[in-house]
Amino acid sequence: MDIEIITGDKYGEDSYRNLFSEIMSDVGKAFQMERALLVLKPEVPLFIFSVRLRSEPASKTVSDVANVREEGDVVHMTITDERYAPDILRELWVRYGKDGVEQQTRFDIVVGNASVKDVNSIVVASEEEHLKEIIGAVWRSMPEGIKNRHTFIDGQVITIVATEERFEPYMLDEGLAHHKRMTEAGKDV
Amino acid sequence: MFEVLMYDGGIYRSEELFEFVEDIGGTIIQKTRSSQILTVMMSIPEEDREAMTEFCKELGGEIRAVPLAGTEIAVVGPTLGRHHMPHPICDIAEHLRRQGAITVVMGLARGRGKLTSQINLEEKMIIDEYDAAIFSLGNFKPCVEAKADLFSDVKVPVILVSGPSPDGVEDKCEAIVSGVGRKASRMRTPPEREKLDEIADKVGSVLKDKKRLLDEDPLFVHPAEIKLLLEEYEPVDMCLRPAPVVLHLDGLRVKIGYDEHHADIENMEIYGRRVGDICRLSPSKINDSSIIIKIKTLSEVRQEDLRRAGADDP
Repeated sequence: MDIEIITGDKYGEDSYRNLFSEIMSDVGKAFQMERALLVLKPEVPLFIFSVRLRSEPASKTVSDVANVREEGDVVHMTITDERYAPDILRELWVRYGKDGVEQQTRFDIVVGNASVKDVNSIVVASEEEHLKEIIGAVWRSMPEGIKNRHTFIDGQVITIVATEERFEPYMLDEGLAHHKRMTEAGKDV
Repeated sequence: MFEVLMYDGGIYRSEELFEFVEDIGGTIIQKTRSSQILTVMMSIPEEDREAMTEFCKELGGEIRAVPLAGTEIAVVGPTLGRHHMPHPICDIAEHLRRQGAITVVMGLARGRGKLTSQINLEEKMIIDEYDAAIFSLGNFKPCVEAKADLFSDVKVPVILVSGPSPDGVEDKCEAIVSGVGRKASRMRTPPEREKLDEIADKVGSVLKDKKRLLDEDPLFVHPAEIKLLLEEYEPVDMCLRPAPVVLHLDGLRVKIGYDEHHADIENMEIYGRRVGDICRLSPSKINDSSIIIKIKTLSEVRQEDLRRAGADDP
């Protein structure tokens, strides 16, 4: 992940570079981020954190994260993206019951009385949830007391403008300008 | 001046060690025996250190200084939220524990933010129960400088730990250690371990100054002597809380209820005097299940004796 930091505070710049990448790695979101722009103005205080994701957040179905085949009325599934394994299992248990779902190995699951079409269409991660997780991760990296936040979302770019008390119009304008810059930078790539 | 040392050795001839400590006018703070291994925390006169080292060598044990033993230190963060915990606050607390101190981690109710951070009177009074307080603040210089007001009214010595080196806060705290701001991972690299050592050294020197001040008008009894007395008191002996009696530089914290037990403690006798006459007992501000004992100084006790004698003999 490429991190750009705009600030007048030298210590804050160095430490936030490490802090941001460590927190994103801890919460498992670093690999989804292509670029991050952090504007740190502790003297105001105003913080603008903008991230561009590698892909636009979208709902994931079983077909996106597993290979599925049918034998009679039994469906065999091999999970290809382990991150979604708990979600797949949970959704299968809800639909077919624990007795109808057999997990043979870490990645192989057999589902009784099911069809490939039904299993493939199960949503394991919604777009909204995905966005919520990214925004939560960015909030976590921001200073704790900066609770007044506004979020701009456009496709792959999420920008959060945050201050401690009330927003001044220039703060949101500045946030929007950085948001546009990140969106346009994505188009060049 | 007294120095706190830790003996690490076997139980072989340990009775002789205890006698030696007594002979040189020291006190045993804590004895921990595990199978044949014995660890003894003791407070002895500074000038007898060499003799004690020689004696311990003779017994086949080792002795080392634990400069923070016999102290209780609060490590305070703006909140207990994940932005400040567990790193670096818990790292600092753990490091000080290894230097012999009892440490307590504390978060303020409304300490977050730059313009909105606050500390209330109750929090200040709780912090004042400890021997010293470490305030761990963040990465931004303006925020650290603005938050210096959090500890400007705290009476116990304050050591400020922050990322950048702040300006204009020198008169609000006893020491400043910069280079430790907000962290998301454990302080385990060599430079970070050095920073932890630096914090422990600063705490040690601040407490040494406090001890020197106390030595100008010494306490009537050493806190460890009151501790020995309290350990024979059944509710303390039966107390299941970790470290039921904690030593402070000028007193103790006893983890039993104030309402039920303060009268019993006040009526105990030491050197022919009531504990209530030579100490001030008060309930802890944290809750009423602990008692804070502050030992009066020699001059205070003498003054009270004179006053009493004057009143009795008109």
